[in-house]
Amino acid sequence: MELVFDRLTKEYGAKIAVDRVCATLGPGVHGLLGANGAGKTTLMRMACGVLRPTSGEVRFDGAPIERMGGDYRALLGYLPQDFGYYPEFTALDFMEYLAALKGIGRRAARERSLELLAAVGLSGEERRRIRTFSGGMKQRLGIAQAVLNDPAVLVLDEPTAGLDPKERVRFRNLIASFAQDKVVLLSTHIVSDVESIADDILMMRAGALVLSGRPGELVSKAEGRVWEAVVPAGRVEELEASLTVSNVRHLEGGRALLRYVADEPKVPGSAPAEPTLEDLYLYVFRDGAAGAGSPRAARGAHFKEGYHA
Amino acid sequence: MPRLILFEIKKMLSRRVALAANVGVIVFLVAIMALNVTQNRTVSFAGEEFNGVEALAYNRSEDEKHAGVVTAERAAEDIAAYQEMVFSRIDRDAVGEMTGAAVYSLIAQSFSPEEVDDLYNVYWNWLLRPWRTAGEEPAQTAARVTPEMAANWYGATDDLTQDALDDGQGGMWEYSEDEREYWTAKQASVPEPIEYGYSGGWDNIVSCFAFLVFAILAVCITLAPVFSFEYQSGADAVVLATRHGRTRLVAAKVLAALAYATAYFAVCAAIVVGVSLAFYGADGFGLSIQSMSLSSPYPLTAGQAALVSVGLMYAACLGLACLTLALSSRARSTLPVFVTDVVLVLFTGLIPSAGVGILERALALFPLNFSNFTMLFSAFESYPVGLVVFDLIGMILVVYAVLAIVATPVAAASFRRHQVS
Repeated sequence: MELVFDRLTKEYGAKIAVDRVCATLGPGVHGLLGANGAGKTTLMRMACGVLRPTSGEVRFDGAPIERMGGDYRALLGYLPQDFGYYPEFTALDFMEYLAALKGIGRRAARERSLELLAAVGLSGEERRRIRTFSGGMKQRLGIAQAVLNDPAVLVLDEPTAGLDPKERVRFRNLIASFAQDKVVLLSTHIVSDVESIADDILMMRAGALVLSGRPGELVSKAEGRVWEAVVPAGRVEELEASLTVSNVRHLEGGRALLRYVADEPKVPGSAPAEPTLEDLYLYVFRDGAAGAGSPRAARGAHFKEGYHA
Repeated sequence: MPRLILFEIKKMLSRRVALAANVGVIVFLVAIMALNVTQNRTVSFAGEEFNGVEALAYNRSEDEKHAGVVTAERAAEDIAAYQEMVFSRIDRDAVGEMTGAAVYSLIAQSFSPEEVDDLYNVYWNWLLRPWRTAGEEPAQTAARVTPEMAANWYGATDDLTQDALDDGQGGMWEYSEDEREYWTAKQASVPEPIEYGYSGGWDNIVSCFAFLVFAILAVCITLAPVFSFEYQSGADAVVLATRHGRTRLVAAKVLAALAYATAYFAVCAAIVVGVSLAFYGADGFGLSIQSMSLSSPYPLTAGQAALVSVGLMYAACLGLACLTLALSSRARSTLPVFVTDVVLVLFTGLIPSAGVGILERALALFPLNFSNFTMLFSAFESYPVGLVVFDLIGMILVVYAVLAIVATPVAAASFRRHQVS
């Protein structure tokens, strides 16, 4: 089972939202990282068939999804960013409505809906109108509807937005338990959301995939580029402005431990540090990623072109 | 599919605006139809005042005094009897020279109140219609009618159609030969003899079916968000990514919209029809439509005319419902859809035709304009389309059928092809 993005491109006039993205996603969790406006949402919409690419195509097990139509959508679960709902529906109404749209029978729909609502912590809230839900509850409902049909391909666009830390942990566990033998594509700009559960990371910048690979492999790419230095606390602000600082820890005696990413040490006394995925992320986007929609001519050079998927 | 249809109906009716519009229109219709009964008031020439259901009973008794089949012989005899009664006390030759008001005063002075009541029964006005000119008192018309003219009552009635065609709606419209043939043939198909009598319930339906415009408006308000809310709320991304999102869902939305529109219209029509028949009575279904208006060229009964009126409103309701769906499928907000509906349903009723025949014919196709008896059944509104001539009834059916046939696929295709962005 594989989902293939073949030179997937989306242009809006002169703006390029997604630029010739190629990737092959097999079973497992694929974390899609990128700054806001990097083109993650556009890519995911195309992956779900709700947005037609300007060129290129998405294939599932070799078949273009556009040709598969309903057969592909039957295998799909999708949680869009800013997911829309019907305010006067109860959570159960919403789940059963989506179940009907996904072709699930009435009895199975009820059982599965209740089971999933419980799994996302909405047990006891089934009969409440969605308009009375908090942002986090709505997001959990969105996650529940996405997995209603036990999809082979699950696309989650910023699924953890609005969730508190406890809910994030619950979500990660849910996805981890769900992801076996399934293609899960999960976008976020919060590195910690995918660090522990993603089998594979894809990084997008200015509409293009700039880096992809297993988290451990990717992290190793940042080796020798993460530094720590003890500096006077008074200099922190100045250094933050000139360096890509990933962490500042204030120490006793008016000093601070500064962690930053750079090709070479920039602060006297810097020592190499063990990199994390977050360091790599910051390194990739260190110069303030050009936003999506950049004209093709203005597109910047990608980080390590050789690592393109 | 049935589950999806039910969910779509639930979605439509759970919106507060839709709920308020639907309930509001039903309350309005019940109130207006109740007032239509309770506020009914009639004063006899004897000074007796009748209110509410008593007034209805009085009007019924007045109509029933002359109920029956009006053969040529009976028409001539009745006209002769009227002339004898009126001109036994006032000068036949003099009334022709008098104003209508003077004739009325003269009759009021010359006859007892009960006799005036009889002389001003609407039957006489109706019977003398073939010769009556605008603003004339029945006695003035009767003064000009000779026994020979009265004996040819049906011939004179037929001439009303030719007179109307010659008049060309007061010079506004020049009827083509095809149109003249159409109306002449239609008039010739009116069965004779005409049956006169009381058909108050059906008359009242024809008088009140214009209120169903508000039902159409409520339907449009309810249907305006069917597609556009999906786009507006962002739910489009969720539903279009589902197995049936681009197929059955579209069909379910259209079927739910039409089922709701039909059911809601039926409820509203039942209020108008039910109250009318319950209080005015269902008698007179089979009376000729000519007993309501002698110049009507339609071979219909009073009951059929009432049902045709309501049926045309239903056709408009479905046509506009489909148009609303099409607009909704193309708009990201419900506001432009709603504004368009209000303009089409209500504002078109406020635009004057200014004596321009084409404009009048165009405006006549909108619900608020065609929702009166005269426009539908005796205004001779015809539409020559190539070699075919449609009357207003036919044209309304054609226009709203075409609207539904064109708009529904537009709605379906627009949603199916919708791109989430």
